[in-house]
Amino acid sequence: MPDLLTNLGLGFAVALSPINVALCLTGVLVGTLVGVLPGIGPVASIAMLLPLTFGLPPTGALIMLAGIYYGAQYGGSTTSILVNIPGEASSVVTTLDGFQMARNGRAGAALAIAAIGSFAAGTLSTALVAALGAPLTAIALLFGSPEYFSLMVLGLAFAVVLARGNVVKAVAVILLGLLLSMVGTDPQTGVPRLAFGMPELFDGVGFVVIAMGVFGFADIIRNLEAPRHQQAIVQGRISGLMPTAKDLKGSAGAIARGSVIGSLLGILPGGGAVISSFAAYTLEKRIARDPSRFGAGAIEGVAAPESANNAAAQTSFIPLLTLGIPGNPVMALMIGAMTIQGIIPGPQVMTKQPELFWGLIASMWIGNLLLVVINLPLVGIWVKLLRVPYRLMFPAIVAFCCIGAYSINNSPFDVVLAGLFGLFGYWLVKHDFEPAPMMLGYILGPLMEESLRRAMLISRGDVSVFVTRPVSAGLLALALLLLVVALLPMVRRRRQQVFVE
Amino acid sequence: MGASARQAGRGGPLIRNPLDFFGGIALVAIALVAFWGARDLAGSRGISFGPGTAPRLFAGLLAVAGGAVAVLGLVAGGGGVGRYPVRGPVLVTAAILAFAAMIGPLGLALSTFIAILVAAAASPETRWREAVPFAAALTLFCTLLFRYLVGLAVPVWPWS
Repeated sequence: MPDLLTNLGLGFAVALSPINVALCLTGVLVGTLVGVLPGIGPVASIAMLLPLTFGLPPTGALIMLAGIYYGAQYGGSTTSILVNIPGEASSVVTTLDGFQMARNGRAGAALAIAAIGSFAAGTLSTALVAALGAPLTAIALLFGSPEYFSLMVLGLAFAVVLARGNVVKAVAVILLGLLLSMVGTDPQTGVPRLAFGMPELFDGVGFVVIAMGVFGFADIIRNLEAPRHQQAIVQGRISGLMPTAKDLKGSAGAIARGSVIGSLLGILPGGGAVISSFAAYTLEKRIARDPSRFGAGAIEGVAAPESANNAAAQTSFIPLLTLGIPGNPVMALMIGAMTIQGIIPGPQVMTKQPELFWGLIASMWIGNLLLVVINLPLVGIWVKLLRVPYRLMFPAIVAFCCIGAYSINNSPFDVVLAGLFGLFGYWLVKHDFEPAPMMLGYILGPLMEESLRRAMLISRGDVSVFVTRPVSAGLLALALLLLVVALLPMVRRRRQQVFVE
Repeated sequence: MGASARQAGRGGPLIRNPLDFFGGIALVAIALVAFWGARDLAGSRGISFGPGTAPRLFAGLLAVAGGAVAVLGLVAGGGGVGRYPVRGPVLVTAAILAFAAMIGPLGLALSTFIAILVAAAASPETRWREAVPFAAALTLFCTLLFRYLVGLAVPVWPWS
């Protein structure tokens, strides 16, 4: 415990330096902006803005990128409440009750509760990251290659369970991601693989390039399909920002439960913010004395999912910082940022670069505080921004992504690749394949190959090493259990279909 | 379920879910291409992995999973492939490829400007009177941001 306090003290000393506070502020502001604007998600925007951080010191760069991430979670709620358009996928459920509250003239209270809930959740999850950081790192250092491999299999199993729709398709896209990650030079032998003779591919396909394509360009192409209808923005001044005592009392429990759910689900790979907001909303509705209030402006319906998505955004840093395993595409981009800065992600970050580790954690809390303080007064500006039509926004995103993709290696080839991945991502979505699990497979591919390779070496080629080592066996058993649980409803449904016929 | 629907279910189309069927086939095709691409890579030697081991492992698993998706698409009902629009995908991709082609010879400013306009043409809602000045302003912003603030090493003009 005293260790934790010393560490957090160090963290706050780093995070409170003027330059880092300024970067944190920039991050949360840009993040909120991105979150407010519909049609561009956190992955695409972090990929797009990553090149802007190349010139910054490592700690500052990561602080800013983290700020963009949780700022976006928060910004997404603003549009959900005011215009019934979720700015981010994680704010979809907030539209249900948030927009109803706004229509009842309670937009101010809804926004305030979202902010307060996010802050409370941010405080709890930051504390959790700080508390779990050291013990998990200690465990991670004990893990051998077989355990690492099994842990990643478990991570992918979680991604399958948390993915929407068809389980087999989720497994397939993960494998596609694993295969894609093999493009490039084999780290062990230096042989180019699957490069099809193109020297530009010898370094592999950059993660940022794929993310821009699959999440940036593909989303634009898809958005262009549907004609934009101008949504009715809640008119008039937003007054009564302060929630009443009744509001606070009514939402305190929801905030607490949402924070806990979000913190837990955020640690799991593949899910994070989106799934936890749904889970928190569902729980509130289920335990409510009068579930019919939900959908008609229940304040818990705003408080719970907003707390949950913010908590999850925060705790999803835990596997990255302690194990070096990114749980979702945003964390993979953080790995990309770390690598560019010359930091090897993993358990050694905490011991070798404590100022970076604890500085980042402390900055999350500061960032959450900044969000509450700056955002409520800025609501008016965000609403104005919403009036920027998509016909102007999407060419701007295209230009930004093009320059961003080019700037990583000063390579026009990367821009072409991003464009091709845009088309491919569009095709995936058209065929109901989710791109997020593919990205997770892509991130974990090289790590899995490496640990599999080493595990085979230390076991002298005996595959049973994965089941004879107890920790590894336990992780694999859990993964198998998850897959079976995910497959069961599908099998049952098919049986019913057969019966109907 | 009425009699006609039941008939459609039994004797209906051969491929009951073209969305999944063709999606799965495409994944199998990708796996096969990867197999072919990895044909020269050495495999495992004894207990140590060769560079080709993991690519072939992942490609093999993908072929199996893709095949499963396709087979399920044959037997279980679902959505159709739907319409593929032309204008949006083609012009957005054209803007990106144009940028890639121009950035070397023409420099940052012109490439950005032209790419924005090509992209803008992808939407039927674009109003040119508004799009052209917007593109100019955005080009100025991007140039200042990336060239001077971020310090991207790229010429701004063809002659610079």
